[in-house]
Amino acid sequence: MSPVSSKQRQFDALVRGYSGDLFRYAYWLCGEEALAQDLVQESFLRAWRSLDSLRETAAAKAWLITILRREHARLYERKTPQFVDVDEVEVADVREALTPEGSGEDALIRAAMLKLDVKYREPLLMQVLGGFSCEEIARELNISSAAVMTQLFRARQKLKAMLGGEPIEAQVYELR
Amino acid sequence: MNCVEFRRQLAIDPQATAAADSTQPVVQHRAECPRCAEAHARALAFEGDLARALNVAAPAQLAEAILLAQTTAERRRRTNLRRASIFAAAAALVLAVGVVGMRAEAKPLSVQAVEHLHSEEEVLALTAPVAAAEVTATFAKRGIALKQVPDGISFVAPCPVGNHRSVHLVMPTADGPLTVIYVADQKIGAAADFERDGLRGRSLPLGNGTLILLAKSPAEFDRVEVQWRAAIAG
Repeated sequence: MSPVSSKQRQFDALVRGYSGDLFRYAYWLCGEEALAQDLVQESFLRAWRSLDSLRETAAAKAWLITILRREHARLYERKTPQFVDVDEVEVADVREALTPEGSGEDALIRAAMLKLDVKYREPLLMQVLGGFSCEEIARELNISSAAVMTQLFRARQKLKAMLGGEPIEAQVYELR
Repeated sequence: MNCVEFRRQLAIDPQATAAADSTQPVVQHRAECPRCAEAHARALAFEGDLARALNVAAPAQLAEAILLAQTTAERRRRTNLRRASIFAAAAALVLAVGVVGMRAEAKPLSVQAVEHLHSEEEVLALTAPVAAAEVTATFAKRGIALKQVPDGISFVAPCPVGNHRSVHLVMPTADGPLTVIYVADQKIGAAADFERDGLRGRSLPLGNGTLILLAKSPAEFDRVEVQWRAAIAG
């Protein structure tokens, strides 16, 4: 029986350490569990092929998310996504989208999250799920830090609006 | 820092606002402004709700499924690589054989005949005469009907010389063994005498092929040539 290679051990550690996080990221990108699972699997297979390019252990999660995002983009090159304009979404839509078993505060937030335009959703995911700083998100999304901050601000504003809360912008406006 | 700046910072990154040390303006403002401190508490509560809601459960056995797919793909890749290696090796072998064959083909018949003689030098020592019928039969295998069989043949065999269909013979003479090679499938343009590896040689077109004589001395070449002209051309 041949010994397990150090590359294989490294890959095992990556899969066991990050497959859950990657799945959650994929799920909130595409909104479908089965598709998210496929995306994660394809991403890890791609990661295995280019494992030699991973130089720093600390960068592993960001590296995997980069691969996942590219895999997701490839998926959408093959099929045209159905975008939903967040401005057309009413709070009622979110509440109506809930199933009886999926009610409750978490379910409301999840439904609202899936209604959020990907432009706002993605930086929020990177911050909340990935723990990335604004600068790291900016590098990953290839936009400026200022743009990331604006998108994060608007993402929370729109989420709270959909959930029936008071938009932060309104709160800020009141303070002026 | 004023309230607007604080609320904007809060909406951008609530966790960073919470984690800031006491020297940071956000912390100082929070300590000074009760309304912003309340907003900060609400924002952190929302972040907690958000993080909990986003934390959907990954499918059971997800890691195992990924590792299974990866190891399966890796084994398939290695198998394909092995097959490709074997195919490449076979292709290289075919190419090498082709190149060797082409190189052999590029050599003059006289050179190929000398090389063949060296590869079977032991037959030069044979002296017992071979039956005429055996000589006739050997030429027949090459599609040649001999008109007569010269005397004094001590060895005959249907040998390949290079890639050519040939008959290899030895005729002992007073000056030592004389090798006769008849190449049945290639006819040279003109007769020529040559010397190679300490051997004297003669090649000449005869019938549909080429007769090559090799010996230490050419003394018997004329006589033997006449015999084989009579045997093959009549």
